[in-house]
Amino acid sequence: MTLAVLAVAPLCLPALGGALGGQVTTLFIYCILALGLNVMVGYTGLVHLGIASFFGIGAYLLAILTVPMYPFQIGFLPATAVAVLATAGIGLALGAPTLRLRGDYLAIVTLGFGEVAKVTLRNLEQITGGMKGLNPVPPPGAGVTIGGLDLGKEFAIDPRWFYYLALASLAGVVLLMRRLEGSRLGRALVAVREDELAAQAMGISATKVKLSAFAMSSAVAGLAGCLYAASLSTTADPNAYDFNRSIMVLCAVILGGLGSIPGTLLGVAILVGFDTVLAPWADSWIQQWNINPTGSSLLSFSGWRLAIFGLALVLVMRYRPAGLIPSRRMAAELHDAPEGH
Amino acid sequence: MLEVRDLEAGYGPIRALDGVSIEIGEGETVAIIGANGAGKTTLLMAISGVVPTRRGSVTFRGQPLTGLPTHAIAKLGVGHAPEGRRIFPRLSVRENLQLGGFTQTNRAAVARDIDEACAIFPVLGERMSQMGGTLSGGEQQMLALARALVGRPKLLLLDEPSLGLAPLIVQKIFEVIGSLSKRGIAVVLVEQNARAALKLADRGYVLETGRITLSGSGKELSGDRRVREAYLGEG
Repeated sequence: MTLAVLAVAPLCLPALGGALGGQVTTLFIYCILALGLNVMVGYTGLVHLGIASFFGIGAYLLAILTVPMYPFQIGFLPATAVAVLATAGIGLALGAPTLRLRGDYLAIVTLGFGEVAKVTLRNLEQITGGMKGLNPVPPPGAGVTIGGLDLGKEFAIDPRWFYYLALASLAGVVLLMRRLEGSRLGRALVAVREDELAAQAMGISATKVKLSAFAMSSAVAGLAGCLYAASLSTTADPNAYDFNRSIMVLCAVILGGLGSIPGTLLGVAILVGFDTVLAPWADSWIQQWNINPTGSSLLSFSGWRLAIFGLALVLVMRYRPAGLIPSRRMAAELHDAPEGH
Repeated sequence: MLEVRDLEAGYGPIRALDGVSIEIGEGETVAIIGANGAGKTTLLMAISGVVPTRRGSVTFRGQPLTGLPTHAIAKLGVGHAPEGRRIFPRLSVRENLQLGGFTQTNRAAVARDIDEACAIFPVLGERMSQMGGTLSGGEQQMLALARALVGRPKLLLLDEPSLGLAPLIVQKIFEVIGSLSKRGIAVVLVEQNARAALKLADRGYVLETGRITLSGSGKELSGDRRVREAYLGEG
């Protein structure tokens, strides 16, 4: 079903127009980021509050490998490959010392890592450009010509190129996640979440499984970061990768349904859609009808944005605790098994 | 095949095992009986590496197990079906069984072993795609046993497999345990139900507050006056 929705999406594109096209591209990128987070939080049950930092690390690594300021200036694809692998490595480096931690403690460590990463990116001005970020990140395919078509130029002028690139990457990640769910490693992730002792008695190394989850989550988040930086042609400033972003992505995963691929996609669509599409639209509507002549924030939609958002989350958790599209596992009504039957 | 020498283990200041020595031969079924808190579960957990040992040694087919992590011990062929069944509630029956064969790399062999397990417990075959947590207690115990068997253990540690189950189910479970020695699987059976366990076992040990106080063949122990009084409710 997920794939069917994704396949129909390009057909709608001409109707979406340029500006919205760009926003939908961003939406796809957040979907990839959320699917990455889902590996840790959904499948493996490890709380991660710093996913945005890996998003940012991916973006900065891509920038360092491609911007004119640095001598590397390699192409988009090899730079992405290097950035994704390096992000996975950083994920492992964070995972290894924190493996003994569970629940709240791991949440605090990942939260701290997210803040440290953000502040480091800001203060290492010689390397990261501080608050200015790194730019210009050249468009993918810069300098590559296929059949008289300058790919770099096409990417720069026509947003549809990026739309398709982001869509293709998202489709690839979705396929990968589906394979993971049915694989030996995928089962091991869930087994460790369900019962670590029993999993070990099956011969599963909980250490290896958790580290794999860390690496996979970080790598996918890094990929999203690469696409993000390339689509903006800048890393933006480090505040783009702060705690709020981590929480927003985590909320999207929980809202949609932990461990559920279509749920995660829907969660992102709702949250990001609410922020980037509905809120500006409602604001302009209010302005158009002159409901708010004094410009008081009490009467603007944006002023209430977070309140509405919070209320919606509370309601969803109250009435659909397993998420909007629960995964098959979470949907199962589990009761304490009656004894002796 | 398994030799436990002078084993000591515990939790914090509590010494749950105080110099336990037992031996299990190839394909042998050995029962460990004892009261609550005697250290039966701790003994199994110390063998499979869940609880660290403080002193003494565990040797499996000539290889020392002491200090190895649980998953490595499982890989060597020591299966552990822990107390309370511990199936994976949010994984399907099939996935639970597949995880039992986690250490095996040959998928076809795992599929065959799963079919075989379902032949032993037909009810599992009927519930393959159901979540483990939706099974009844008896079915969960069957699943736990079947899952352990799919791992093709050479030695199987069973912790209270009859706990809280209806008599008919207990009978079925014990039947299966009794057939394991024919398949060349050695069994260490920890049981509250001492009568059934001793009837089934080749040999038995009595564990009392962390020490082995008696040992002998199943028949000898069931005939022993002290065992009859303390564990078989006769006197």
